[in-house]
Amino acid sequence: MNDAAFPSGQPGASQWIGKPVRRIEDARLLTGHGRFTDDVPLENAAHAAFLRSPHAHARIRALDVRPALAAPGVISVFTGADVAAEGLKSLPYFALHKRPDGSPMTAPPRMPLTADVARFVGDPVALVVAGTRNQARDAAELIEADWEPLPAAADLEASARSDAPQVWPAAFAPDYGNIAAYYRMGDRDAVAKALAAAKHVVRLRVVNNRVVANPLEPRALAAQYDASSERYTLWCPTQNTHTVRAQMAAVLGIGEARLRVVCTDVGGGFGARGYAYPEHAALLFAARRVGRPVRWLADRSENFLSEVHGRDSIAEAELAIDAGHRFTALRIRALGNVGAYVSNFGAAVPAMSGARAPTGVYAIPLLDHEVRILFTHTGPVDAYRGAGRPEMGYLIERLVSRAAQELGADPVALRLKNLIPAARMPYTNPAGQTYDCGDFERILRGALAAADWEGFPARKAAATRRGRLYGRGIASYIEITGSARLTEAVRLTAAPDGTVTLLSGVQPIGQGIATSFAQIVAQRLGIDPEAIRVVQGDTDIVGSGGGAGGSRGLQVGGSAALAGALALVEAGRLLAAQSLEAAVADIEYREGRFRIAGTDRSIGLFELAAAQPERRIAVEHTETVKGQTWPNGCQVVEVEVDPETGVADVVRHAAVDDFGTVINPLIAEGQVHGGIAQGLGQALMEQSVYDASGQLLTGSFMDYAMPRAELVPALSTRFDESVPTRLNPLGAKGAGEAGCHGAMPALVNAVLDALAERGVTTLDMPLTSERVWRALSTRAA
Amino acid sequence: MSQGVMVRRNVHIDLRVNGETQEASFAPYKTLLEVLREDLGLTGTKHGCELGECGACAVLVDGEPQLSCLVLAVECEGRSIETVEGMAKGAELHPLQAAFADLGAAQCGYCTPGILMTAKALLEREPSPTRDRIREAISGNLCRCTGYQQIYEAVEEAARRMKESA
Repeated sequence: MNDAAFPSGQPGASQWIGKPVRRIEDARLLTGHGRFTDDVPLENAAHAAFLRSPHAHARIRALDVRPALAAPGVISVFTGADVAAEGLKSLPYFALHKRPDGSPMTAPPRMPLTADVARFVGDPVALVVAGTRNQARDAAELIEADWEPLPAAADLEASARSDAPQVWPAAFAPDYGNIAAYYRMGDRDAVAKALAAAKHVVRLRVVNNRVVANPLEPRALAAQYDASSERYTLWCPTQNTHTVRAQMAAVLGIGEARLRVVCTDVGGGFGARGYAYPEHAALLFAARRVGRPVRWLADRSENFLSEVHGRDSIAEAELAIDAGHRFTALRIRALGNVGAYVSNFGAAVPAMSGARAPTGVYAIPLLDHEVRILFTHTGPVDAYRGAGRPEMGYLIERLVSRAAQELGADPVALRLKNLIPAARMPYTNPAGQTYDCGDFERILRGALAAADWEGFPARKAAATRRGRLYGRGIASYIEITGSARLTEAVRLTAAPDGTVTLLSGVQPIGQGIATSFAQIVAQRLGIDPEAIRVVQGDTDIVGSGGGAGGSRGLQVGGSAALAGALALVEAGRLLAAQSLEAAVADIEYREGRFRIAGTDRSIGLFELAAAQPERRIAVEHTETVKGQTWPNGCQVVEVEVDPETGVADVVRHAAVDDFGTVINPLIAEGQVHGGIAQGLGQALMEQSVYDASGQLLTGSFMDYAMPRAELVPALSTRFDESVPTRLNPLGAKGAGEAGCHGAMPALVNAVLDALAERGVTTLDMPLTSERVWRALSTRAA
Repeated sequence: MSQGVMVRRNVHIDLRVNGETQEASFAPYKTLLEVLREDLGLTGTKHGCELGECGACAVLVDGEPQLSCLVLAVECEGRSIETVEGMAKGAELHPLQAAFADLGAAQCGYCTPGILMTAKALLEREPSPTRDRIREAISGNLCRCTGYQQIYEAVEEAARRMKESA
């Protein structure tokens, strides 16, 4: 941590920071008393069910809702025509990029219920409200829909063709197909020259498979409208209550003050829950219209159909390498899938934070990067753990390992030769981004040691004797974290009951952020973390907030908590000076007490709070950190492949991560482990599959393979805290997404290393046993 | 197509949940998961997939882990049902809960009740399970947050503590 944040020499200076403090969240979560959306009790609530399009692309000729209205228990049925008549607006989205001709993105409407043409299987077209969930679901099946099926562009590459079925005619461009947005960066001519002049050019095409975030909590909503105050309340699992409030206020056409969004506990986010969905608006609308609270709980198949998917890109890359094995230029041409509608970050993710570091941890002076972001007749695609960064990291680390293979070079030696040296920090990469600090070689060497890199040949020999193919893979990664929201406000209140209440707009989504904040505040105030109450997830109580996303919570929100605690001390010093009748300059604070320096006259923080007319000391503080941070790390994986079955087993794994200051190692470790499991899942088994007509084939956990306990090997994770960032007072860099980022390229590089002796040079994720077996069989034939 | 499920008369039965017998009245087609959550107010047991694929709804019926989304509540008359709400004795956490807290085995907490109940059944059968046995026992419980390692470690730690205090 940075010295200024926690002055050294203060007794107990490291009492809470860096300690594996028990999570304050666990008291409720481990006893069955968590408050997830479907757990919220609501008197007299009705239940909703959606009718969704069974076609990837179809015109709605007619919807006859009368049979549903006549069904038992049904209160009301709403369609796209009803929400249009009400004047509801299209959902907002983030337009980071423009079209290829430089014009703004075309804004295809995404209404709470689709009225005219459905554009993916799962597109919501009607909402039934009934007395029970089963009544609503049964009645939704009774709606008679007259569909006119239309040709669908279900495949990403095919959607780029000039003859592709058009998703949004206004967005279609013959040279680009169903183009939503376009990104380019770098120096095209210089890269072309460098590639032409290069001693070696290594080429690689990779598919980043489409996956589903699948938080274990299904999508759920509860909406209420209070006619007397004309206010709405929405309970939902979300990463950002304030974004949901702003987006829903815009769709409903009301001021934000008329909507309260509440989210106490969330059963996982992973990027899929950082914003509002059409269903949020439909429920709010329905609650007002029926005059009763309305709740909705998706089943898992509906979750697969209607929650955003992640990744889904194809990239072709060329790396120019000189005679001395130094990388000189990188060219990338990529396609990213946005799905049928632009979800919140959907049209940004394929060229958002990841595009800021396409050259990874390597000193590659020249870049030519183009990304085409395309519509398809599939469900919307948006952020998923890392949101574009793991895609970039996967590409560059696959490319570097491929280069080592083609050059006949050692993959570690080639990396060491091209890593950005610590001495060159701060380093500006060819995308124009400046890494403030980092020692990539130190991290890489740490990972090699943790993995016992030197012991590999013996392990391989042993596996070979058992008839197994054995390989190792290495991958460094660099993340850009903190999100674009670099400001957080906090309110801290010291009360006579001996507690300090912290209000924060960072959303708890299971990452233990409340505990981390309590540790930070406790540390600064010199009191026990159990005295800190952290209140989050209610827009009526917390004034503003940037939520959870982009690994921002600790570095931005934690910095605000720290600065807020300092502001509380300063406010207390003024009051203590009055109370103790001394000069403010003479008041010092230590471990919960204000004291006149050099005397034994003192008053406790909580005693002082009790002495105030309002019986509390409260401060508000807004903190803006200096910039996004660059966590980095390295993972090493060893795999054993059974050539008879194609099954790839991860047998060894090691990770070393630089997250700067670690506040709670138990929590940080859990973040890395969970990320690695998701990375291994994507690399080995997870894949969301649409058939050529746009039908989703993977709509349940029977069809979509999730990493289960037997998949994940023993994980070795270590933190290197030697290079804290100066961009925030904690010295912290984001930890939430890194594990996922590093795991994929390390695993795939390991499998390809194992298969190299059998002539397999490339494979795309997921490396299922079938895919590996086919690759081996083809080569052998 | 039919006019939907007819709401038949409710059944009235006694359910023994966490050691206490409660009278419950509910539609006969309701699952144990639904009755626990909606009729008995025990929301600690979670909906995850409603198809028996994720384990979030696991409870113990006569000491055996059961997926409550696949069990009809009417089948549970006269049987002993245990849910996560019954694990702690007053303020004293069950050793599994304490170990989960000490070792970071819960993150979002949504799959946690199902995993705790599954692990409880395991430790009651096998007080000293190997890592592989723990892995096997919870292989029906999906966790998206933790990567499972801290869960294994917590179950092992709980087993140690339970043996020491036995």
